[in-house]
This record gives sequence, structure tokens and C-alpha cells, in this order.
Amino acid sequence: MGRITDSGGSTDARIADGGGRSRRSPAVELEGVTKRFPGVIANDDVDFVVEHGSIHALIGENGAGKTTLMNVLYGLYEPTEGTIRINGEPVSFDDPGDAMDVGIGMIHQHFMLVDTMTVAENVVLGDEPTRFGGLLTDERKAIEETRRLAEQYGFDIDPTERIEEISVGEQQRVEILKTLYRGAEILILDEPTAVLTPQEVDALYEILNELIDQGKTIIFITHKLGEALHAADAISVLRNGELIGTVPAAEATREELARMMVGKDVLLEVEKPAANRGSAVLRIDELAVDDDRGIPAVEEVSFDVHAGEIFGIAGVDGNGQSELVEAITGLRRPESGTVTFEDTDMTAFPRRKRIAAGMAYIAEDRQKRSLVMEYDLRRNGVLGCQRLPTFGDRWWIDWDRIDGYVDTIIDEYDVRPPDPTAAAHSLSGGNQQKFIVGREFERDPSLVIAAQPTRGVDIGSIEFIHERLLELRAEGKATLLVSSKLDEVTQLSDRLGVMHDGQLVAVVRPESVTDEQLGLLMAGERPTGLDVDAARTRSEP
Amino acid sequence: MSGVRARIEASLDRLVDATVIERLQISLAALGFAVVVGAVLVFVSGLIADCPDPFLSLPGLGGACYNPVEVYWTMATGSFGSLAALGRTLQETTLLLFTGLSVAVAFRAGLFNIGTQGQMILGALGAALTALWLGEVVPGSLIGALIVIPAGVVVGAVIGGLWGMLPGLMKAYADAHEVITTIMLNFIAMGIAFWLVQNRVGNLESDSVLTHTIPEVARLTPTIGGTRFSLWALLAALIAALGIYVLYDRTILGYELRTSGVQEAAAEYGGVNAKRNIVTSMTLSGALGGIAGSVYVMMVQYRWQDGIPPLGFDGIAVSILAGNNPIGVIPAAVLFGAMKSGSVALNLSLGVPPELVEVLRGLIILFIAMPEFFRMIGKRYGYGSDPLATDGGENV
Repeated sequence: MGRITDSGGSTDARIADGGGRSRRSPAVELEGVTKRFPGVIANDDVDFVVEHGSIHALIGENGAGKTTLMNVLYGLYEPTEGTIRINGEPVSFDDPGDAMDVGIGMIHQHFMLVDTMTVAENVVLGDEPTRFGGLLTDERKAIEETRRLAEQYGFDIDPTERIEEISVGEQQRVEILKTLYRGAEILILDEPTAVLTPQEVDALYEILNELIDQGKTIIFITHKLGEALHAADAISVLRNGELIGTVPAAEATREELARMMVGKDVLLEVEKPAANRGSAVLRIDELAVDDDRGIPAVEEVSFDVHAGEIFGIAGVDGNGQSELVEAITGLRRPESGTVTFEDTDMTAFPRRKRIAAGMAYIAEDRQKRSLVMEYDLRRNGVLGCQRLPTFGDRWWIDWDRIDGYVDTIIDEYDVRPPDPTAAAHSLSGGNQQKFIVGREFERDPSLVIAAQPTRGVDIGSIEFIHERLLELRAEGKATLLVSSKLDEVTQLSDRLGVMHDGQLVAVVRPESVTDEQLGLLMAGERPTGLDVDAARTRSEP
Repeated sequence: MSGVRARIEASLDRLVDATVIERLQISLAALGFAVVVGAVLVFVSGLIADCPDPFLSLPGLGGACYNPVEVYWTMATGSFGSLAALGRTLQETTLLLFTGLSVAVAFRAGLFNIGTQGQMILGALGAALTALWLGEVVPGSLIGALIVIPAGVVVGAVIGGLWGMLPGLMKAYADAHEVITTIMLNFIAMGIAFWLVQNRVGNLESDSVLTHTIPEVARLTPTIGGTRFSLWALLAALIAALGIYVLYDRTILGYELRTSGVQEAAAEYGGVNAKRNIVTSMTLSGALGGIAGSVYVMMVQYRWQDGIPPLGFDGIAVSILAGNNPIGVIPAAVLFGAMKSGSVALNLSLGVPPELVEVLRGLIILFIAMPEFFRMIGKRYGYGSDPLATDGGENV
């Protein structure tokens, strides 16, 4: 139960019914909030104020404490110190149910919807309108209620459709409807744009504006500067658990925000010398791959990656990139087509042989694939190389040689803490990734496959990883870069393929397309006046 | 509500982060607590029980029958106080080493083998039948023993290994959780062995369910008079412990086995056939369980008899107590062995009811194993110093 600890004030004084508020106290006030975990201070004396009816962006690097702070506000964590005031009233929450009771709703990054149920059923789930004294769910009323809410806020959504049949953008709208149905006045969105196409992002902004117009308050967590600047009224920056500052979005600049986030100037443009291309290292020929359920995920994809070039693949997550990469690296068996690596047909080769042949791989899910989370760095340093003659003979592992290798990685790739006995799970995302990059690059591979190499990684590490990728390119290595970050693939790639619905819908030169055109391609449309096959067959620039 | 939860989570973090020294200190403190709690229980039980000659008379409460100090003293001398006591302790230790290692091998590879008991029962039957059959053929000399005893061990290992391979296959290729399947396979193993011995391969004249007694040549020679403990079996168990330590710590195969069990997807990323390795780990674990059965038949029981003691289940506690470290299994098995023989002595010489003795033993195991157990659970669910855990999102 939500305990209003000071029950002196009248609780109905500021109930927002469509915008008619009686007074303008801040919707959310966090004062001196500190959240300690054993050995870690996740939030340090944070004062955070969100005005009524505004969109407030909370930005910061990975591990800066954004999500922890919001979990405190949402009642998932109890703050170690500090007070929370909602609409001026001090509150304390035992669980998210309490936060919901005072009108705080959270939309998580990973949706919590039942795929097989309809939109309306999901919206009312847990709080269903009933008939016959609670015996049956009143489905008609659920649909009506959902439709009424959707219309009120201008959502384009059919309450009778099933979740599995609607797009990710629509699913997000269902999540928002869920919190509105429960009477949320303050909505927290955790990385809401991470899974959306550029077009869907625009639609989300419209929805947020509509919500604001109707008197709601919105906090969204992001680490994309552009988004915060574009959508928010005010921006708060967290760094190392401390609130560095809050600035009005209208007065802020990218550079200023970036500086606040990392505490130093960040190179936002990548400097890329001209490519010096060689022969084809990887050749993919009409590759078709099924996903885990046996449904075709990649259809007849062909391309090649040459020495000294970075071939980028852009696309919204879940359009076959993961399956394609797994088929190339030997983690998934393709249905048809061939993978040729340095003139050897490797389609049927097990992963071990591909590693031995010089294929390095930065997997998109580092916590699942590229690292054994409970192993220390030393044991992780040999993952994938354990059978290479460099690190042992036939039966035995040579830990001394591995120690030397791991020290080199830690040193050269600036892994912190520089402790080979630290468990992988104790490192931040950026340091985990730098370690993986080091392990894969230091083996002197001839092909690097980098899948989402900077996902969930702080700006400093992103810059570092980008530099290393360009270094490899300068050394004449072939790189396949798969990323859903548009600026990353467009800035780093020499040629850029776009995947949509399992197909490589275009191969272009990144400098010849606009972000809007790429967005359309990623959404499966054909922008007019663009040669989508301009760079499909490789020719000199 | 969330306050309690936070405290529990903080404790788990603390446990997972504990150093080896701290863990030893925790274990010793737990032992102390178990003895204190046990002493209180013994004393109170003594007040309730009737006896002709109480060691202490309390006005209003009556006589206290059992002296806690004497009880624990008897337990200590009963396990190490004489050669015979030492023999009993080491005999138990040897068996627990094998079953403990069986469980530890699986645990080390991230797998829960609860099926050591079943693997041991079938391994024991295989060894008994091998000994009965080969014992007839080979000469009754040392040469004969050198043939029949290793043969018994190998047969036990193979049968136990196959029985362990089964849940491994089910885990790797059908996603059936090994905890469930190994528990169920225990019952099946027991049923198969019982039926075979009762109806086919056993001593059909006997009213009990047992096989014929194995010949002298197939028995491990007792080392200490008055007990059946054989130093050779203990040495073999110690070598096995060392071998498993080396396997997991120094060999490529061990690294791959462990990685496959701990994080299958990462093993595949590392070019390892994780599914095959899960089967291998379970087979190895089962083989050790089978060897425990062989040694039980050839060193202790000299036949297969219904009602084999739950050494396989004790092995789980031994392994947890040892933090699943094959070298740590050695002291853990000694402690368990000592308590087993100590409680036998207690029952015989002081007349403390066997149920109470079991309670004392259980208390010690419970107190010592629980911190390790929770540490394991905490580790599995990602507790411990982990800045990422404080940051719910973004770690895609």
C-alpha cells in the first residue's frame, strides 16, 4: 500500500483530469537519494526534480545509475537515504504496486506482454472488469475501455488484435496503455527507442506530446543525446551515480551534454582514412537460414567482404541479422547457400575450425556468448582460443602463456579494473566489451565479425572500439560490422547493406544516402531516387 | 517486505564475495553453533527420557539422562579414538570420497547430479556379479585379485557411467532438467536392481533380497584389523580427487567441460560442442558413482544386498560442503566419515537413541553446508559484487 506519510494535505488537490490542475508543484521530487549496494554506490545524494506536464530525459553512460534511480522511484528498490515526494507529498514504497497507487507507471525496455492474448486483454490484465460478481471477465467492457483510452490519447491501435500480430512500436503503445489504464500520471520509459525504427520513433514522440498535452508527466531514460535534445523539455545527466546537472533542452548542445556525461570532450565524428581494399576474404552466396522455430529468418542473402574494408549491415533488430551472423560464424546451420572464407568453402565447418582459420567474432550478446560471466578474465581470455597451439599442447592448457596474453589485452585495451582475477560479471559493459575486442583482435585474425559491438557500452569505450575497428581496416583486415545504430554503421562502413525481413534490401555507399532514406529501407520501403544496388558488386570507389 | 528482501540480497552478496579464509571461518563457526544447539537438544531430551541413573538431578525438572559433554566426547573418540574407530571412519571416508567426487564433477560443470545413489546401486550390482562370475574362473592368488578387482571397478564405472549418461543425453538434446531426471532415475535404478536380484541374479534361496557372497579373491584386503577398511581403496579415491582437480584446472578438455555446463551458449561461441560435453560430464559423474558402488561391494558388504546406505545422497552434502572443489572433497569426506562412525559408537556405548544421534549429525551437516549452499545459489543467480546488477537495463 502506498503510505502517504504526511497525510495533512488533501490528496485530491492535484488530480489531473485532462489538464485542469489546481497548482503547479513539481510532479516528482527526489531529495538526497542515495542507493548503496554492497561495495557500490549506485546513486549518490541525487536531487532530481521533474515538473508537472513535462518530458524529462535522464541521460548518462552505462552504469551511471539511471535505471537504479528510476527503480527507486518506481518502488523496486528502497533508497538507502533520501526522500521521495510525489506532487509535494512525501511517500515511501514497499513495492511497485505502491508506486502505481500514487500514479507512477513504468514502461520497461523489454515489454512484459502476453503474446497470445489480445491488446485489450493485456491492457486490463491483473485489473479486469468483471461480470457476474467477479466470475467472468467482461471482455466487451475491456475492449471498450481500451478503445476509449486509445482514442483519448490518439493511439492508432486495434484492441482485438493479438500481441504477436502487431509491430514492436504498437506493442510499446500497449505497454503505455497498460499504465494509463491503471491511472498512471507519471510515466517512466526505460530506453523507449532502442527497438524502434526511425519512423516509429517519430510516432512515439507524437504520443509523448499528446500525453503531455493531457497533463501527464514523462521521464525517459536514454543514452542517445539526440533523442534527449529532440524530445525532452529538460535533461538531467547522471555520472557515476551523481546528478551532474539538469538543463533545459532548448539551451543544451550535444557537445555540452556529452561532456557532462563523460567528463571530457568526446569525438563525435569518426575520422576515417581512405580504404585500401584487397581481395574478397568472405563471400556469402545465396545464404538462407532458419531461426530457432524453424521459420526462415534469412533469405537468399549474398555479399562479400574484402580485405581492408568494413562492410556494414544496418537494420532494426530481429530482421535476420543475428541468424546471418550465426550462420557465418558457425553457430547455426544454414538451410542453403555457401559461406566461403579465404577461398575455402566453410559452410559445413564446425565453429572450431572457423576460429582456427582466423575468424574473430564479437557476439551481439556478450553476457550470453562472448564471456562466461562467472569466470575471471584469465579464464575468459582463452575462450575460443583454448585449442589453438599458442595456448597449450594437445591436452594441456598453458596458463602462464594465457596470463601473459590476458595482461596484454588488459593493458592495450584499457580494461578496468586491470585485474585478471576479476570475474567477468563484475566489469561494466564497456570494459567487458573492450576485453572481448582485445581477445578477438590480438589473435591476429584475417576477418572480424562485429555484431552490435558498442551496444550498451559507454561513450568512452565506443570511441575506443571504433578506433580499433578502423585500425584493423588500416592493417588490411576484413570486417563485417552489424549494428542497429545508424550513425555507427554509416560512419564506419565503406559499404553498407540494409537488412529488412531477412533480405538484404540494399547495398549502398553510406556517404550517398541520408538517414531518412536508410530509415525507409530499414522499414522495408524503397525510397525514390536511390540506387539500392549501387555498391552490391564491389568496384573501386 | 522489500526491506527483508534487500537484507537477504545483501547477505547473499556478502556470502558470494567471501574469501576462502572467511569461508573456513564460517564453517568453523557453524560447527560450533551446531554443537551448542545439539548440546541443548541432548540435554533437554535427557530431561524427558527416563533412565535409572541420571547424571544430574534438577529439582522440579527431574533427572537429566544424557551429558552433552560426554556425548560429544564419545562421538570424537568413536571416530578417531582407536584403530578400529579410525578404520571405520576411513572406510566411510573412502566411499564418501567417490560419491562426493561424483557429485562435484557434475557441479563443477554446472550440472546437478542427484542421481549418484542410483548410479552407485547399479554399479554395485555390476561389480558384485562380475566378482561372482570372474571369481570362479581366476586363480585364488594375488594375480586373480589383480584381475577381478579392477574388472569389478571397470564394470561398475561403465554401468554407472551409462546410467549417468542417460540424464546427460536428456539434458543436452531434450532440455529435460537433470535434477528431475536424475531423481527419477534413482527410483528406476533401485527398482531394476531389486527386481534383478530378487528374481534373476540373486541368491534365490534366501528370504532377503541379496546376491551370493563374493569370493575372497574379489575382496579388498582389510588394512586395519577388525574393520574392512582397505588402504588401497582410499589411495585410489585420493588419486581420483587429484585427477579430477588436474582435469578441470589444467586440461583443455576440463576447461571445455566446465564451460559447457556453466554457460552453454558461451561454450558454443568458443568452438566447443557443448551438448556433447554435457553428456560427457554426466557420464564421468555417473562413472564415479558406479565406482563407489564397486568399492562398497568389494570392500564393505561383499555382496549386493537390498538397503544400500544413502552414500550417494551424502555425497551431495559432501560436495556442497567442499564448495564442489575436488580437493576440498577430501576433508569434507573425512568429516562426514568421522561423524558416521562416531555416531555408531555413541549409540552403542551411551544408549542415546539412534534418532537423537541422527539429529546431532544432521545439525552439523545442516549448519556447515547451508552457508556454502546459499553461496552457491547466490552465485548461480548472479549475486556478489556486481555493478551491473545495480543497473537493470541496457546490458543487452
